[in-house]
Amino acid sequence: MVKEKTFAFFLGCLMPNRYPAIEKATKFVMKKLGYEILDMEKAGCCPAPGVFRSFNKVDWMVAAARNLCIAEKLDSDILTVCNGCFGTLQEVNKHLKQNEEHRIMVNEKLQLLGDYEFKGTINVRHIGEVLGYEIGPWGIDDMIVRKVNARAAVHYGCHFLKPTRIREIESSEGPTIIEEYIEALGVQSVRFKEQLTCCGAGGGLKAYSGDASMTIFGEKMRNIDEVKPDFILDICPFCHLQFETGQDYLNKNKECNYDYPVIHISQLTAYCMGMDQEFVGLQYQLMGKNYIFGEKEMKKEQEVV
Amino acid sequence: MSDIKEEHKEFMTDEDFDQDFFKNIERRSNIWKCIQCGTCTASCESGRWTALKTRSIVRKVVLGDLSVLDDPDIWLCTTCYQCYERCPRDVRPTDVIMELRNYATQRGNISPNHRAVVGYLKNTGHGVPINDEIRQRRIELGLEELPPTLFKFKEEGDDEDLKNFEKYMFDLPPVKEKEEETGGE
Ligand code: SF4
Ligand code: SF4
Repeated sequence: MVKEKTFAFFLGCLMPNRYPAIEKATKFVMKKLGYEILDMEKAGCCPAPGVFRSFNKVDWMVAAARNLCIAEKLDSDILTVCNGCFGTLQEVNKHLKQNEEHRIMVNEKLQLLGDYEFKGTINVRHIGEVLGYEIGPWGIDDMIVRKVNARAAVHYGCHFLKPTRIREIESSEGPTIIEEYIEALGVQSVRFKEQLTCCGAGGGLKAYSGDASMTIFGEKMRNIDEVKPDFILDICPFCHLQFETGQDYLNKNKECNYDYPVIHISQLTAYCMGMDQEFVGLQYQLMGKNYIFGEKEMKKEQEVV
Repeated sequence: MSDIKEEHKEFMTDEDFDQDFFKNIERRSNIWKCIQCGTCTASCESGRWTALKTRSIVRKVVLGDLSVLDDPDIWLCTTCYQCYERCPRDVRPTDVIMELRNYATQRGNISPNHRAVVGYLKNTGHGVPINDEIRQRRIELGLEELPPTLFKFKEEGDDEDLKNFEKYMFDLPPVKEKEEETGGE
């Protein structure tokens, strides 16, 4: 049995190495919510489901299993804040639990890497689903100290919900989990065209062909710009990177003039739970540096009719 | 663009290549069930902008046309899973493309940028390694300067795991000569 109210916190690459403010915010939120957060010592890249799975699917599974073993030793479910890490770890975990042939194969190779054996004792969770379902809009309401009065363009990304047969969270064609959750934080989700499409970064495309990736992203931004949200809300540091560097690229190369702050669900939640804006970290980001979070803040009490 | 007739004409064999490959793909992704309905192409979030034609890639695999492994288009998929979700025959085209990329990689068809990412992984344990600016930022935020991942342990002199990782994982074939000449991307 895994420990209750405890998570092995899987950092991945982009969050600790590019957006540490998301790490700060996630730890803040989970501790306030009463969870114990454990370090996963010697964890590595998940490895990313787009690039590394493309090169060698077996090694991809072995490297993922190594990370899973670290959490198994801690008797804790894994928490990730990234669609890519979730995609890899959740899928490999589920697959190796079900497929004995692959489990034996992976375990053989794992021995080469150190003292690791995949046992299949834990689950892998994504912050979007922990906040959206486990805590829920009903639960977070008691935990926040302020609400942000804002309109957000919500970006789900791809690997949080898809493939639905593996993730088993919600329909990928009309999800509402994030919208319902952020409504409790005073944030209204504004619908925009093709809301559920990819940001264009995945599958190794950002590295393989920056042009193609930016063309896909360009359409995304045009559709978002039509509804003029206060910020873009995501649940994945890789989408986060795409929205940040992508806006910058379009401004410099395609005569655009975007400045939408990009905010991860952990950052938003942490702010509403009382973390100072300085730790939300917008000053470190490329876009929306001057955005004052909660400028139009609602007092919680005012909400109660 | 190629229609199906043409694909038949260009049916290829490749003696030095593991013919097991199509059987593997079949087992993992129901490839023979494809009815060429085009739902995958119509749903493709990359294909609306790029040359990627998912239906035609699936067709080539069914026909045993190995040229698909040298087709740069298979690297344009973003793994958005839209085709996977919507395919009425459960072919799971995303998985097919992933499988094709594995075989393409074995043939040395791997972009220099992707090679670089593999290098970072072997060196630091991260596909995206940390840099000085972020180390500083982490301190400002009140986090440890280095996250407790493989890289931190390497810095502290405990690099056994990473060494094994480098030795045994993600071995890539040497750079193709053609690639060297043109310098790639
Ligand atoms: S959607 Fe499925 S059945 Fe239709 S062409 Fe694509 S792979 Fe074949
Ligand atoms: S997973 Fe790849 S092939 Fe399928 S719709 Fe998305 S980009 Fe196209």
